Amino acid sequence: MMRKNFAGVSSVLGLMLALPLARPGRATTLARLSLPQLAASSKLVVRARCLGRNSRWQQGEIWTFTRFTALEFLKGSGPAVFTVRTLGGRVNGIVSVVDGIPVFEPGEEAILFLTPTARGDYGLVGWSQGSFRIARGADGVERVTQDAAAVPVYDPARRRFVLAGVARMPLEQFRVLLRAALQGPAQ
Amino acid sequence: MSGLRRCLFGLSLLVAVGSAAAYTVNTVIPQSGGCPVRTRFNTASPINRRWSTSLPAPPVLYTVASPGTADQINEVQQVILTAFAAWTGVSGTLLNAVTYPSALAPLGQTATATACSDDSGGNLTGNDTICFNQASQAFTPGVLAFTRVFVASAPGQTLGSTTSAFAGQILQADVLVRNDGTVSFATPGALGSHPEAYDLETVLIHELGHFFGLEHSPVWRAIMAPFAPAPGTFLPPRPSPQTPDAPLREDDRTGLRVLYPDPLDTAHTGTILGRVLPANLLSLAAVPAPAAGQFVSGLFGAHVVAVDADTGEVVAGAIAGWSCPVPSAVPVFDGSYRLERLPLGRNYNLFVEPLDGAIPPAMLGGNVLSPCSTSSPTPCQSPPPATNFVVRPRSSS
Repeated sequence: MMRKNFAGVSSVLGLMLALPLARPGRATTLARLSLPQLAASSKLVVRARCLGRNSRWQQGEIWTFTRFTALEFLKGSGPAVFTVRTLGGRVNGIVSVVDGIPVFEPGEEAILFLTPTARGDYGLVGWSQGSFRIARGADGVERVTQDAAAVPVYDPARRRFVLAGVARMPLEQFRVLLRAALQGPAQ
Repeated sequence: MSGLRRCLFGLSLLVAVGSAAAYTVNTVIPQSGGCPVRTRFNTASPINRRWSTSLPAPPVLYTVASPGTADQINEVQQVILTAFAAWTGVSGTLLNAVTYPSALAPLGQTATATACSDDSGGNLTGNDTICFNQASQAFTPGVLAFTRVFVASAPGQTLGSTTSAFAGQILQADVLVRNDGTVSFATPGALGSHPEAYDLETVLIHELGHFFGLEHSPVWRAIMAPFAPAPGTFLPPRPSPQTPDAPLREDDRTGLRVLYPDPLDTAHTGTILGRVLPANLLSLAAVPAPAAGQFVSGLFGAHVVAVDADTGEVVAGAIAGWSCPVPSAVPVFDGSYRLERLPLGRNYNLFVEPLDGAIPPAMLGGNVLSPCSTSSPTPCQSPPPATNFVVRPRSSS
């Protein structure tokens, strides 16, 4: 027997200020962070465009260094071009696999929640929770999707796929939520 | 593919079986190119296990025993053993502690200060280690623990003292638990009196799933779901000597069976496979060719989940889109999916869902959704994921 079930896949986008930004990332145990918590934990919140990335060994680990050009600082300020350091990557025949780490392609735009590292670059707050990709739809509207909200999750209790977190939210709507999150106390 | 409003769900049920999982396994594209391969340990020899016994000072880690005592060491070690036992308690795998008691080497201790990682270059030990006392630049806010797995993408790759026998072999895996004082963890006995602490047992069972080669599961309540239970809580039931794998969901168990199938297992040999096709097959002609001489003949990127019809528990999940009829060949983008190692004698419902996020395919499931290698001698380009369709059931079992 087969069954279809698509009700409820459309957005669960309200209440983002109060609700955790749930959703899978990959190889990690994450604490759920609400948007105010993400904002409070970040030194920088910036809209940026990926310029490129490379992976290399550095002191016993394979790190991936992704360069971005800043398009708009939404919290704090920083260099016009900056680097985000993420664990994992591929160097020759060795692959360092760390689930939950976003990977960016040149030309992609995202709103990034960043914290400075001791090495002078930046880390992504909450890994997949701290990256919100921007895509322009056929209607010309820019929408954001949190990396951690990219894949619908099956909820056995309700027997359906559901979306939580920020998924395909109009950018302007996200800006309103972000402004409120930046002004309010972290929950 | 964006114009697709309908799709037929082409299904061929070879075996109708069922019980548990939408696991995702880590994969690596071989250095020589071709289809992704699953990452797993080489079980030809016992998997070594170590843990760092240099426990941090409270309040990072709570135990029932007084901090810093031999009792504390023993208590934490017991949690580690219990977490391993959750996975080695799964039947039908080469790791099962009953069928293959020597699959894992005895748990050892190490005093090596950089056994896992301290960002100073000393962690390439070849030991598979759990550490509570080592920092990493990777611990940004919101990250409680992580597992970093070094995988060979070709035979003959060496890391530490281990040389790979096959592409996809895990050469070293290290679990790091955050210890900077911003979060705390408690053993099960201490959790009740420390509501601010995360349950160490749950965190370790989850991380050991990564250790063995599993990715996060998109099934709520699976142990491999990425988010920890709230501080002071855990997902019941706790393991017991009779049911050491009790904290796992069927989803988790199936994932392990897929990675380490026991050739003697006759209870979990069911397979469901099929293809996800658009109602209008001609629409596929508009999709760019993924490689020279190839064309797309099915939907790419649909999420297929099998659910036990009686219990409602998720049995297995897969991303439909491609198949690899010949080892090391360029994937064929035919809309295929395959659900393996399913218990026999059960009925299943299948659910299909488009991936309708704005994330590029490479982000959604690692190599699962980006099966083309950029370094392959025969390069290919994955089709765009199907993000906009509805399902019309066509067949049933």
